[in-house]
Amino acid sequence: MKNPDRKKFLDIMLGAGATAWLASILYPISKYLIPPSVPDSNVTNVDVGSITEFPPNSSKIIRFGRKPVIVIRTKEGDFKALSATCTHLDCNVQYKTDTEQIWCACHNGFYNLEGTNLSGPPPKPLAQYNVRIANEKVIISSEDMS
Amino acid sequence: MKLYDWINERIDLDSAVKFATKKQVPVFYGTVWYYLGGVSLFLFIVQVFTGILLILYYQPGATTAFESVKFIVSKVSFGWLIREIHSWSANLFILFIFLHMFTVYFAKAYRKPREITWYSGFILLLLAMFFGFSGYLLPWNELAFFATKVGSDIAGAVPIVGDFLLKLLRSGDEVSGATLTRFYGIHVAVLPLVFTLLLGLHLMFVQLQGMSVPPEQENLPHDKRKYMPFFPNFATRDLLLWLIVLNVIALLAVFFPWELGQKADALASAPAGIKPEWYFMFMFQTLKLIPAHVWFIEGELFGIMMFAIAGLIWFLVPFLDKKANQGKRSLFWKFVGIFAIVFIAGMTIWGYSV
Amino acid sequence: MKHLIQLLFFICLSVSWVITASSDDSDGCIACHQIIDEDRDDDEKIMTHIMEDVHFQKGLSCSDCHGGNPNAGDDEDEAMWDVDDFVGAVDKKDQPRFCGKCHSDPEYMRQYSAHIKTDQESQYWTSHHGQKLTENDEHVAVCTDCHGVHGIYPIKDPRSLVYHMNVPTTCKRCHSDKDIMANSGLPTDQFDKYKSSVHGTALFDKKDIGAPACNDCHGNHGAMPPTILSISDICGTCHANNAELFKGSHLREIFIKENIKLCEGCHNHHDILKPTDEALNWSENETCSHCHSDGQDKANRLAGTLFNIIDSLNNKIEEAIETVDLAENKGMEVSELFFSLEDAHKNLIQTRTSIHSFNEEFVRKTSEDGYKAADAAIIGAEQALTEFGFRKKGLIVFSLILTFFVIVLYLKLKSMENK
Repeated sequence: MKNPDRKKFLDIMLGAGATAWLASILYPISKYLIPPSVPDSNVTNVDVGSITEFPPNSSKIIRFGRKPVIVIRTKEGDFKALSATCTHLDCNVQYKTDTEQIWCACHNGFYNLEGTNLSGPPPKPLAQYNVRIANEKVIISSEDMS
Repeated sequence: MKLYDWINERIDLDSAVKFATKKQVPVFYGTVWYYLGGVSLFLFIVQVFTGILLILYYQPGATTAFESVKFIVSKVSFGWLIREIHSWSANLFILFIFLHMFTVYFAKAYRKPREITWYSGFILLLLAMFFGFSGYLLPWNELAFFATKVGSDIAGAVPIVGDFLLKLLRSGDEVSGATLTRFYGIHVAVLPLVFTLLLGLHLMFVQLQGMSVPPEQENLPHDKRKYMPFFPNFATRDLLLWLIVLNVIALLAVFFPWELGQKADALASAPAGIKPEWYFMFMFQTLKLIPAHVWFIEGELFGIMMFAIAGLIWFLVPFLDKKANQGKRSLFWKFVGIFAIVFIAGMTIWGYSV
Repeated sequence: MKHLIQLLFFICLSVSWVITASSDDSDGCIACHQIIDEDRDDDEKIMTHIMEDVHFQKGLSCSDCHGGNPNAGDDEDEAMWDVDDFVGAVDKKDQPRFCGKCHSDPEYMRQYSAHIKTDQESQYWTSHHGQKLTENDEHVAVCTDCHGVHGIYPIKDPRSLVYHMNVPTTCKRCHSDKDIMANSGLPTDQFDKYKSSVHGTALFDKKDIGAPACNDCHGNHGAMPPTILSISDICGTCHANNAELFKGSHLREIFIKENIKLCEGCHNHHDILKPTDEALNWSENETCSHCHSDGQDKANRLAGTLFNIIDSLNNKIEEAIETVDLAENKGMEVSELFFSLEDAHKNLIQTRTSIHSFNEEFVRKTSEDGYKAADAAIIGAEQALTEFGFRKKGLIVFSLILTFFVIVLYLKLKSMENK
């Protein structure tokens, strides 16, 4: 080594390079370690809000994973949750408060609150979801697959 | 340096450094092949780190696995990066092990006294493939689900113990949430433990015995052979290559991400064009080509038996290749090696072209 | 002793009765007619499907409809001609009454089903078919023309001629036949029009059993062409929203006054095609200009506005789809944006429906949610694209740092080795 300055310079550069490289690895990892503020998208259970948001004889369409689900509170105060996708041509169904039935406006298909197709073109019943109430909150869940 | 001294006083670091600096790496046209094992080692380290990071958010289970992976790649910051690096590094890991194995094979490095290194290396390859197979299922997407179904089916065709193996793998008769839990346990607990122990042995052998050179080099007169110190010369080159490999992985992760696909559904029909991971393709394709019956045995069983025999021969090469132990090259084993490469490459290409 | 003889006599009598009654398969009619059938051409055979016939399945046999004596053995006179209530081949004009003997009798039919209908025959006489038949025009359909003769299946049975999917082809047998329809003054192209219509393709190609067949609009037994007013109720049985909206629109009164059939006026009847947005486009389509001449600015303007609302929503959705696709092709995880796209698409359908109000304000309001959903998808996709840009930049920074480190390390190595 003829030039001790050059050696020193190289060593400093090496230290800087190593530090920068280490930083570029540690930065994403440290970011990764802190969980995001959005809650875990666990779609076996969906919290659809408090009971008070559902007056008797009302309904609300919510997202369950990728699928729309219609949550209905009957006149008697019971909760029902069914797939909101009409089995005929995939329109979204709605709750008819006067007849207390589920209605698809696209081709006038009717279902009862158990999801059974009553009249009109729908060929199949709507799938049911489980509803449970915990701490005044309405929670929808699907049948466990495993 | 104070820290070094402090430790050195207690556990003789000097001798380890001396050992590393005294260790010589032969320099000749084949030196470049020595890096392949190192790269495989590096990729394994990457797998361990990214794997541990993934465990922090991953939730095994039929109803949570897919969702949690989706959560990782879409919600967690840099989650996509960790997952992509883990997937890409896994594939490169197996690729480099294969390359490493073939260079070792053609360099006759398996000959006495390094038979045990070869044996342990072969088992490490099998373990790595099982790593891949078990990890492939964990995102619980459609492709993985059916690939696992097919893969475990093949295990079920093994005579006598097939049924046992099938149930052992699937944790039941069908691929289900229970299979996923089992694969998760295998992937993050059983395999890492076994693999690390065996890898430790494998590396220890290499360190103790030094680098092997092909017979021709060994027969050269002493003054014609060149060396470089393992530390720091060779180790720094290793590090340089590792850094470049890491950059390549980062590049692949950004521009060629692995898709998550659709969530697995046991009742859905198998998607068209279902294919296993590329490193199983040559076996998959061969099994497809074998007729339903060969003599009196079932085609699938025949194929499995053929692969088992071929694998056993490959495993026992140090024992079978008598000439190598005398420092000579055998034409026969050279052709066996070439045949293996041509067969694996040919079948893999064929498998992807249909 | 006398009692004993009486008893024996009764025993013999009842035994013989049991034997004859229980020997259904030795029914004299079937036994002979199966032999007769063997010499007949296929289309004249009457026994081919008799065993599958719903009447036979329910325990009725030949004599229950045709009279006669099945126990008469080989003697034709005794079996058929000499029996008072015997009816052989039924005259066409008597056909509805022949079936009506049982099917119009609630008390009789009740034994087969608690809610079985018995108004088919009376409905039939009110239909075009029935009215023509009373005028002795035999070029009309009677029960057997639609339901078959000796192989009648329940309507839910896919083999039935009047099973939902089979109705159009069954009606076609007469209504597409120029000879049969010659004196009716009716066209014969309904089936062909229907087949390529939105309903026909849904029924035939997509096997959508919810799609209407002939009878869903024209009725079954009381078949009649719908009138100007009833047509909106008929279409409205499925297209409830459209009918309801049109009912409230100002156009309804005008249609009635001008004698234009409500839905048909714009959509045609048998060849109802899937409506396109371009139907609102004055210059390229005659749907509106059929009645509204070019000079009518107000109508022209409204159609143009409605078209623009739908068209720009459509464009917005397409833009959203493109942006989401772009992000997806870059490998970004955008599956959640497909919710918004789906919402937007559903709203597009709603907006298209809403034009039946012919009320600009209402249509505009309906389309708002669609714009919102499409915008949400675009924003999400653009965020994903920005994120992808960030990844690329990050990669560049990382690569630069790494390259620098590698170069310095290499120089260090060289300087070390040159020592």
